[in-house]
Amino acid sequence: MSADDDRRAERDPHMMAEVQVPAADDDIDDSRYVSGLPGILGVVDVAIARIEAILLAIGVLLMALNTIANVVGRYVFGNSLYFSEELNQALIILITFAGISYAARHGRHIRMSAIFDAMPPPARKPLMILIAVVTAAAMFLLTWYSIEYVQTQASRGRLLPAMQIPVWWIIVWAPLGFFLTGLQYTLTAIKNVVHENIWLSTSTMEGYDDTREEEV
Amino acid sequence: DTWRYAFEEAMDEVQGIFAQKFKEEVEANSDHTVQLFPFGTLGESADIMEQAQSGILQFVDQSPGFTGALIPEAQVFFVPYLLPQDEEQLATFFEESEAINEMFPPLYEEQGLKLLTMFPEGEVMMTTQEPVTSPEDLNEVKFRVMTNPLLVESYQAFGATPTPLPWGEVYGGLQTGIIQGQENPAFFIESTKMYEVTEHITRTGHNNFTTAVMANLDFFEGLPEEEQTMIQDAIDVAFDHIIDYQEGLTEESLEKIKEAKPSITITTLSEEERQPFMETADEVEQEFLEIGGDQAEAILEQMKEDLEAVASSSGS
Amino acid sequence: MSIAIFGTMILLLLLGFPMMIPLIAGSLIGFVTLFGGLGQLDTMVQQILAGIRPASLIAVPMFIFAADIMTRGQSAGRLIDLVMAFVGHLKGGLAVSTATACTLFGAVSGSTQATVVAVGGPLRPRMLKAGYKDNFVLALIVNSSDIAFLIPPSIGMIIYGVVSGTSISELFIAGIGPGILILIMFSIYSYIYAQRHNVPVEAKSSWGERGSAMRRALWPLGFPVIIVGGIYGGIFSPTEAAAACVLYALLLEMVVFREMTVSQLYATAKSTGLITAVVFILVGAGAAFSYVISFAQIPQQVLGAIGIDDMGPYAILFTISIAFFVGCMFVDPIVVILIFVPIFAPVVESAGLDPVLVGVIITLQVAIGSATPPFGCDIFTAIAVFKRPYAEVVRGTPPFILMLVTVAVLLIFFPQIALFLRDLAFAE
Ligand code: NA
Ligand code: NA
Repeated sequence: MSADDDRRAERDPHMMAEVQVPAADDDIDDSRYVSGLPGILGVVDVAIARIEAILLAIGVLLMALNTIANVVGRYVFGNSLYFSEELNQALIILITFAGISYAARHGRHIRMSAIFDAMPPPARKPLMILIAVVTAAAMFLLTWYSIEYVQTQASRGRLLPAMQIPVWWIIVWAPLGFFLTGLQYTLTAIKNVVHENIWLSTSTMEGYDDTREEEV
Repeated sequence: DTWRYAFEEAMDEVQGIFAQKFKEEVEANSDHTVQLFPFGTLGESADIMEQAQSGILQFVDQSPGFTGALIPEAQVFFVPYLLPQDEEQLATFFEESEAINEMFPPLYEEQGLKLLTMFPEGEVMMTTQEPVTSPEDLNEVKFRVMTNPLLVESYQAFGATPTPLPWGEVYGGLQTGIIQGQENPAFFIESTKMYEVTEHITRTGHNNFTTAVMANLDFFEGLPEEEQTMIQDAIDVAFDHIIDYQEGLTEESLEKIKEAKPSITITTLSEEERQPFMETADEVEQEFLEIGGDQAEAILEQMKEDLEAVASSSGS
Repeated sequence: MSIAIFGTMILLLLLGFPMMIPLIAGSLIGFVTLFGGLGQLDTMVQQILAGIRPASLIAVPMFIFAADIMTRGQSAGRLIDLVMAFVGHLKGGLAVSTATACTLFGAVSGSTQATVVAVGGPLRPRMLKAGYKDNFVLALIVNSSDIAFLIPPSIGMIIYGVVSGTSISELFIAGIGPGILILIMFSIYSYIYAQRHNVPVEAKSSWGERGSAMRRALWPLGFPVIIVGGIYGGIFSPTEAAAACVLYALLLEMVVFREMTVSQLYATAKSTGLITAVVFILVGAGAAFSYVISFAQIPQQVLGAIGIDDMGPYAILFTISIAFFVGCMFVDPIVVILIFVPIFAPVVESAGLDPVLVGVIITLQVAIGSATPPFGCDIFTAIAVFKRPYAEVVRGTPPFILMLVTVAVLLIFFPQIALFLRDLAFAE
């Protein structure tokens, strides 16, 4: 069997129809993202979506680089990067909060949808609106209190021991992420009110992710 | 009322014993109850400190090493060979030191905390895979230290490769060999089973682990005077208790370790052997003066004065 | 308060709210009740951040990233071809290999979530292709990954050892017996499953074919070398081994096999970041929820009401098992150990129970709990990575839970399953 045969086997179209594997065509294409907001706000929203995507990718790449650099430092230069752990902490916070908003945009948050899916559509739509509204409210509440938390941190002047930078620098992503996530769920609620169909997010109609195979 | 008290160790480790005594005293002398929250149950060291600052917790025990991020001066306790190695002198020093009792409290107050006491937790020892008698033996040894610039500096000056590793990975790291050394007081080496995965314990006498108990400032100042006194009395009783408790604790812990692992060697370095380690202290002191905040110099000077006073009075 | 919290959480969960909302709502009710208002919610934010910050969690995104690169490229396929060349003709062979791979990888990496991704990621498509049903595959991956808790190094056992003052080395050795027993049970079940569902087998490979599969897998065989050799050889921490795998995967797919372009690398990194975020926000929200439980001293109240002080040894072991099982259904395992162990310690001691046995039983319950609905990190990870609905991920779980519970009960009545290796190793 040549390498090419094997690659074809990997991409067997029959298999792809049955199974969702993390493969290229499953990736979110940011250039096709359409904002739920009108006019200039929409342009801003699309730009934010792009930034979130870039932060996610860069964050993960930097994390790998930082971790490897620490190993190299330890063995090659006999010197650990003592700030390595803190930098990874900063990155994981960045990734998480850039990601929750990005996930909300694309309807990727984990939920247990068995009962929801079993309901008739007339019941599902108001429930989806309720879900979006409540989730948005929770996110805005957390936005408020994470701003408060960041402010407290800033006022106390706590420093990261190794990097010697203020702690609040690495946690400002929390309020930002909560806010943008809240915004996405608000838009989702609106989209469900004004549009037909049931929307998991402004850009994702229910059933986008092969619910076909579900027997629940 | 219910008062909440969180600390960085398990219930039966030194901070826990102190907290239990404090609880006992407060509950015997007032109508208040004290709930104790050991290591990890309300978050890590920095988390419980913040909770004490915001008043969710009334009391917190945090070691000055961790407080360094907030009060850089507190890192003075990481300057090696500063504190006396004699336990009695050490106890007297903590009771009488002007630096500790006069200079530190205002620094804590700026952070919304009432400093109630500082107390020693025991002599810090090195555990390694190869015997250590001089800095040369630490050459190329990957030594796990907490993420603190002064500790990193200390071990660099000793000649080791300071390697920060999260606490949860230390045991495994010693077992597989990513790191070949770490430092802690004897009771902690015993309770966390670090001795299972190391071969040698070396008493270099370079430091004594120090910790501090604080109350939320607004809470404390809002109390009537007799309750403030009651708390301070409880702290004093707990302080005496913990000093008594620790008398012989180090030896006891070392005996337990020896019993559980007869092959382990425990070496106390002689004054001569300590000399080359001591000579590195200046470098770390300089580093402390640089990163130790506005009052670094004043505090270091005062501590040295206090230490001399204690040494001369115990000598006479 | 407890009833209001758990009731609300279950309701929101069942209605189909994003999974973070039940956890956030549970914490909110707790904070508002405990502090009489919203005033202390900044501490809830603190706990969410504290939950996602631990350094050891970094291994998760790193393994997700490495596995994603390997799966998109050729590395994973070649490794699986190699396995198939040896076991493809055996009934249930692929399933048994998957269970074994999950156990081994989990044992070494120390992260069950990473295992779900790194082993489950590449193997799941192949198992589906071979004719296994997805709900079986998902449950097999999630549950086999959790055996990792029992096999050293195990962070759960380290925490238990420290909190209870039990020898960690003894715990490590005592975990191996039950771990292997579970793997054997899973393997037998896989075989029966393959028989009953008539999963077809492949033609037996000739030694020539096996040789060629081996040659093709030569480069990718560097992965097990990096992970096993690197970690046990004392070169890497698990997190660093994960990052080294990322580097090696990039080297193979971008330079050696020339399978991956820079834009695909970007897409892969982004997808890793997205999966990480979706799982980590749940870890964070879970930490805030744990805080409430811990602060309100709910476990102490519940256990006080049961009256564990007057129980006999078996009753104590059953109570401990149930307490950890239920606790881990809702709360992060590490927090459960930190809270419960000190409560049970005096009872365990006065009943004269072997703390090593108790530690193994607790670790097993923690493993079960992490794979058990409603809240379990490994379930979340599987949902995020495989993009399958919650219900489907957990649907195949019951037989596995049954087997795990059986082992737990066996352990209580036949402690030698855990202790014989320990006694052998530590005999005077
Ligand atoms: Na393990
Ligand atoms: Na669970």
